Amino acid sequence: MTSVPEAGLQPEHRRAKRVAAVREGLASLVLCGPAVLVYVGFIVLPAILGFAYSLTDWTGWTRWPNYVGLANFRELFHDTRFLAAIRFTLFETMLLVLFFTVGAMILAVLLDRLRRLKGLIRALFFYPYILSILVSALLFQYLANYREGALNTMLRALGLGAAAQDWMGDPALVPYFIFALVAWSGLGFFSTLYLAGLQTVPNELYEAAAIDGAGPLSVFVRIQFPMLIPVITTASVLALITGVNLFSQIVVTTQGGPGYRTFTVGYYIYWLGVLNNRQGYASAVSFVTFAALVGVAALQVALLRRKAVQL
Amino acid sequence: MLVAGLAFVSPCFLAVLNSVKTLPEIIQSPTALPERLAVENYQYVFTGVQLAGPMVNSFLMSAAVIGCLVTIAPMAAWSLMRRRMAAGRGLRLLFLAGLTIPFQIIMVPLLQEFRLLGIQFTYLALLAHHVSWGLPLCIFIYSGFMASIPKELEEAAAIDGCGPIAIYWRIVFPLLAPCTITIVIFWGLWIWNDFMQAFIIMGSAKGQLVFVQLWRFLSDQYVKNWNYIFAGVVVLSVPVTVLYVAMQRRFVKGLTAGSFK
Repeated sequence: MTSVPEAGLQPEHRRAKRVAAVREGLASLVLCGPAVLVYVGFIVLPAILGFAYSLTDWTGWTRWPNYVGLANFRELFHDTRFLAAIRFTLFETMLLVLFFTVGAMILAVLLDRLRRLKGLIRALFFYPYILSILVSALLFQYLANYREGALNTMLRALGLGAAAQDWMGDPALVPYFIFALVAWSGLGFFSTLYLAGLQTVPNELYEAAAIDGAGPLSVFVRIQFPMLIPVITTASVLALITGVNLFSQIVVTTQGGPGYRTFTVGYYIYWLGVLNNRQGYASAVSFVTFAALVGVAALQVALLRRKAVQL
Repeated sequence: MLVAGLAFVSPCFLAVLNSVKTLPEIIQSPTALPERLAVENYQYVFTGVQLAGPMVNSFLMSAAVIGCLVTIAPMAAWSLMRRRMAAGRGLRLLFLAGLTIPFQIIMVPLLQEFRLLGIQFTYLALLAHHVSWGLPLCIFIYSGFMASIPKELEEAAAIDGCGPIAIYWRIVFPLLAPCTITIVIFWGLWIWNDFMQAFIIMGSAKGQLVFVQLWRFLSDQYVKNWNYIFAGVVVLSVPVTVLYVAMQRRFVKGLTAGSFK
């Protein structure tokens, strides 16, 4: 190596460094640019615009929205339809969280214990999850139809015509109809979460329990349940989000009816913003809902981040 | 348990059974076997409900969305996870936050945005929405998978003078193939099955994707022709069922790898 005077090398070195930095920057732009552009353009921007709209009385007909300050938010607190929608959404959420945490866990434990046909039976329970929302909604509408639905037809055939109900039209029953539809579609997914959790239970624990003569119930209570607690956290948050966002199933089945009985918050936003051209007010509703969801979202992000670390 | 499982999916069996019965037969008894196979129901799916064209459209839409996602999501994920970038941390959090936004929040402004851009009720709008909506989850899945790929290969390539884009394209992307396959399967399924987003973004009049078309058929009729409905439902569910049966292991793995929303 010939010795080069230091002073001569350094500017060149610096330039090389700068070129490398520019190249790296360009690479970042090429690699991340498209994703950031699409994401900011069609997710972040609408979210921000939504907040701006919420301060207006825009109906979508006029060219420019009219600024009304916080009037939309004041209206919200006296909006009985909104309050009813919140109540209904929370009711459904409560049922779903209960079912998707406890029911799915019990199913997973039973499935895990199977010796024969394990794969097939698991696949059967999972199957509804892959059907389109419109398909499962149509199947349930057929089951529940008052005049010609399968449930009532079979009840009448058995001579139990008196027990036939208008499952979708009766305000007292329709919340359970919606619940059954969502629960049926989602059960496979949630029990899969639990089954994956059960795979992490070390075999030695089961062997030790067998030696101690523990029955299936105490194996569940003492071994499986404690090992499943992280999954329960995940499942309950996901079920909570499913419940709070309940929306599509309403559109394809009851469309909020009978009356306004099955308006969820999500459906109310859709009803206002898409069906009734009250974009400004709809944005206010969605913004308030979003603010309420931030707590839940923060919890989810924390969970996801912990998961990301594990991965 | 087998009985319970079969009972659980019995609505699907009912649909298949009733798709080969005439309407009076269905109404008389949902569970009885038909006198003869009413194959004309299936013909009607294509002549009356006109599902053939929408099936092609839905397939193309799925392919387009998947193509966009598996191109731009892994690039971004790799760059965010493995390279030192200005604002990398902020971007990571921004994408992570996207996992938590419910669709209703952006629905109304998004429709306005499409209108301002002049692409309201078009396939392009739906494509833009599906891609942007899928990005956070795809990036999340890719990032998770990337943690299992050793860094040494990339470092060796960098020492050999490979630029970042060449490293990504020649080394990282091929290694991500298992993850890409998972994403192809899941998004193929979701976009095919999608009703709600297509219905809202493309409107029911112009939307020509399978489930919107089925919905249009439903709302055009005063009487529910269950025989045709079931035939349509069965036809549209066959592709996803085949996919599911063929890829069952990947499905379960993909789900538990953290793909949930």
